[in-house]
Amino acid sequence: MKTFKTLFATETKLMIRDMNNLIFGVGFSVVFAIIMGMVMGGKPAFEGADYSFMEQSFGAVIAIGIGATGLMGLPLALADYRHRKILKRFLVTPVSPGMLLLVQFIVNLLVSVLCLVLVYLVYVLFFDYGMRGSFLRFLPSYLLVILSIYSIGMMLASISPNIKTANLLCCAFYFPMFFFSGTTLPYEIMPAALQRASDILPLTHGIKLMKAASLGLPMEHMTFPVLLMIALAVLCILLSLRFFRWE
Amino acid sequence: MEKALIVKELVKSYGSLTAVNHLSFEVDNGEIFGLLGHNGAGKTTSIECILGVKRADSGSALIFGKDPKKDRRRVFEKVGVQFQQTNYQDKIRVDEICQVTASLYREPADWEILLDTFGLTEMKRKMVAELSGGERQRLSVLLALIPKPELVFLDELTTGLDAKAHRDVWRYLEGLKKQGLTIILTSHYMDEVNILCDRICILKKGETIFQGTVAEAVEGSPFDHLEEAYLWYSGEEAYADENL
Repeated sequence: MKTFKTLFATETKLMIRDMNNLIFGVGFSVVFAIIMGMVMGGKPAFEGADYSFMEQSFGAVIAIGIGATGLMGLPLALADYRHRKILKRFLVTPVSPGMLLLVQFIVNLLVSVLCLVLVYLVYVLFFDYGMRGSFLRFLPSYLLVILSIYSIGMMLASISPNIKTANLLCCAFYFPMFFFSGTTLPYEIMPAALQRASDILPLTHGIKLMKAASLGLPMEHMTFPVLLMIALAVLCILLSLRFFRWE
Repeated sequence: MEKALIVKELVKSYGSLTAVNHLSFEVDNGEIFGLLGHNGAGKTTSIECILGVKRADSGSALIFGKDPKKDRRRVFEKVGVQFQQTNYQDKIRVDEICQVTASLYREPADWEILLDTFGLTEMKRKMVAELSGGERQRLSVLLALIPKPELVFLDELTTGLDAKAHRDVWRYLEGLKKQGLTIILTSHYMDEVNILCDRICILKKGETIFQGTVAEAVEGSPFDHLEEAYLWYSGEEAYADENL
């Protein structure tokens, strides 16, 4: 516990001093929320929809922050520590790989939660937003999406042999999800072919899940996204521990 | 009591280059053991194989009777390591790296006292990146002592230190030795080896050239001083390289 507390406190300070994670994990979503609100505020999600564009976009904007922290911030921090032999120093101490992964996980979770709170405030204060669905239902969906996206990030960090590959893999995972999973361009207005392609991306299902929860839509169609998220999380966490490399 | 370290027939090659060739030695509790040799002789590779940081091709190393690869968490509870090159997290302060290091052990030393001993108290709130070469070097030795180790590995412990800092570190290590600390070090400074080491092992291109006490090393050579004896053992052509 002492190890966790100290590592967590220090890594959080380092993350704040570095700013990158805050800019991409929080700032980006907030700016995006403001711009989108100014352009689309008040319009329906699509023709005939009984909820507004802003209402349906909430989960998607939050997902931008989840992707940035989970698929960029988290794996790149770990890959960088390995590249600069900081993990090698940890290797000759009693600390476990699980602890190091957990600390990075929680530090990035903190950034995501900050993103959630600020985006929510922007929506409520400027764009007259109120969550239709229950927050108690949204929160578990949100945490499940975090768990599965972060575990993909940890797995990427573990399997990349060096920082270049890590960079490449993170971009290869993050940017398609950024453009095609409905974070920026809503899934509902995508052509059917693009929707099918988009369905390959895990974040698409995460956004569907958060969207349904935030809009208060019935959850019975959500069994597949939920199971997928859980399966991904279990698989990727196991892989990230199995292939964890100190050097 | 288990021996602090038993190394048996350690072999490590990189492609066709044999970096360490059948290295064997033992270190008793409370002993200071020096691993000597020119750059590229295999000192750092040996230490990294012993610690399990690098995978040896064959052979074994037992620290207090345990394999550091298999029993990592228990072994390193009481073993401190200073690598030749130490990197730190970006933008981390001296006190923060000390806190983090101390948090990893069940019964760490008081790092504030260590900072004082190593003359770094004033640097406490500074970024590690802002420290001078000598200060960073002292910090890396200090961090290796935070676990209150029974055995400490120091790879080039005083490289980059000025004369006074040299002596301060030596005096401190001798004090710890009296309390029973076992030290395995590598060094290029024969005066340091002369003062500190009970026994030494001289490596040349991965081969063990000499093993024994400092006195035996001098006796076995045509010279009267360790420095000359060392150069004689390790070969003059390598000496020329070192000065390039």
